[in-house]
Amino acid sequence: MKEISTGPSESQLIRLAADGDARAIRQLYDRYSPRVYAVVRRIAGDDDLAQDYAQEAWIRAIRALPTFRGDARFSTWLHRIAVNAALQALRKSETRKKREGPVPEQVPVAPRGGDALLQQRLERALDELPYGMRRVLILHDVEGYTHEEIGDTLGVTSGTSKSQLFKARAKMRDMLTALDGAAQESGAEAWSI
Amino acid sequence: MEHLNTEILARLVDQTPQPEEAAHIAECEACSAELEAIRSQTDALRSLPEIRPPPQGDWHGLEARLRSEGLMNDPGRFRRIGLAQTPGWMRAAAAAVLFLSGAGAGALLTSPEAPESLGDLAMPSSAATFATSTSVEAAATAVRVAEQNYVAAITRYQQLLISESGVEAGSDPMSRMAALEYLATVSQAAVRQAPGDPYLNGFLVSVLGEREATAQLVASRSNWY
Repeated sequence: MKEISTGPSESQLIRLAADGDARAIRQLYDRYSPRVYAVVRRIAGDDDLAQDYAQEAWIRAIRALPTFRGDARFSTWLHRIAVNAALQALRKSETRKKREGPVPEQVPVAPRGGDALLQQRLERALDELPYGMRRVLILHDVEGYTHEEIGDTLGVTSGTSKSQLFKARAKMRDMLTALDGAAQESGAEAWSI
Repeated sequence: MEHLNTEILARLVDQTPQPEEAAHIAECEACSAELEAIRSQTDALRSLPEIRPPPQGDWHGLEARLRSEGLMNDPGRFRRIGLAQTPGWMRAAAAAVLFLSGAGAGALLTSPEAPESLGDLAMPSSAATFATSTSVEAAATAVRVAEQNYVAAITRYQQLLISESGVEAGSDPMSRMAALEYLATVSQAAVRQAPGDPYLNGFLVSVLGEREATAQLVASRSNWY
């Protein structure tokens, strides 16, 4: 997540939002909702879930605003809250999914070019990774967390984080290879790494 | 030596290989290619663009939830414009005037032809400023104009009360009672037009509450006399 320079205006905005000022909250939302959505969507692996997770992240953030002391950048602070909210919601969702059985596979949208195809394959493979692997792979390889940070966030050791990461990368490799094979069989453009 | 498994290769993306692993990769074309593929995969993941949110997001859903949990208040209009000390009933009066007459009421109250007394406060037909807004920008402009008129209306209302009663507005319970009676009448009419509107219903309840409190004050003063 890229940082946005903080200044007095943002500090004031945060103070007002902490007091419940509707306009200040709206301005923070307008400024940061794309980034919040981006990170929770990747963790959620689903648009509808992502909307729910994003809302939950904002509720938590506004609730916690009075405790924001400015030790970290607001964007970093918010990013952490979003990640935690999404991970916690995902955990509940995964538990529910296990009880309810498999969900029908979504039909992928046809890609328009090489980059789009690559991104689509990666996103699809990410979405289909098992929950435990996905969260570590996203946090480490996509969001740039260290293993220590992942350990703190997920409540696991850094060794567990590493182990999950290597499994996730290997699984991704297998899935992407399988996706390429399926694409070649159907005559579609394949993306080989 | 057997080929290195994918998990080991995945580890070697960002960790130094053991001597025997390095030796194998140097000699094995398949493992070397596989390691390179996993490195490329990792680089591609790091370069994934941010996912774009839906165009409108879900602000309305969030707003409703924030309000229901008491985490969001109204914008604090009076605090922002320095009228925090304005009595609530007077703010309500200005709100009612503007509601009933649209943005035109503010203009009327502040125009050179502004009424000279409260009795002259005729209700003009709706200026329909908001209804005719055809874009977000136009609607936002209308809101800003209405807010300015709202402030002007409060100020003018206060001036009129002072000129009529000769005392500071709100300090005379009888004048206040009369104004609240008027407000109750117009807000009841407004609620009849839009019975499901929560703002109007809340406003009416507030006015009736103020009227009741003022009536008790008037009654208590009558006892003094």
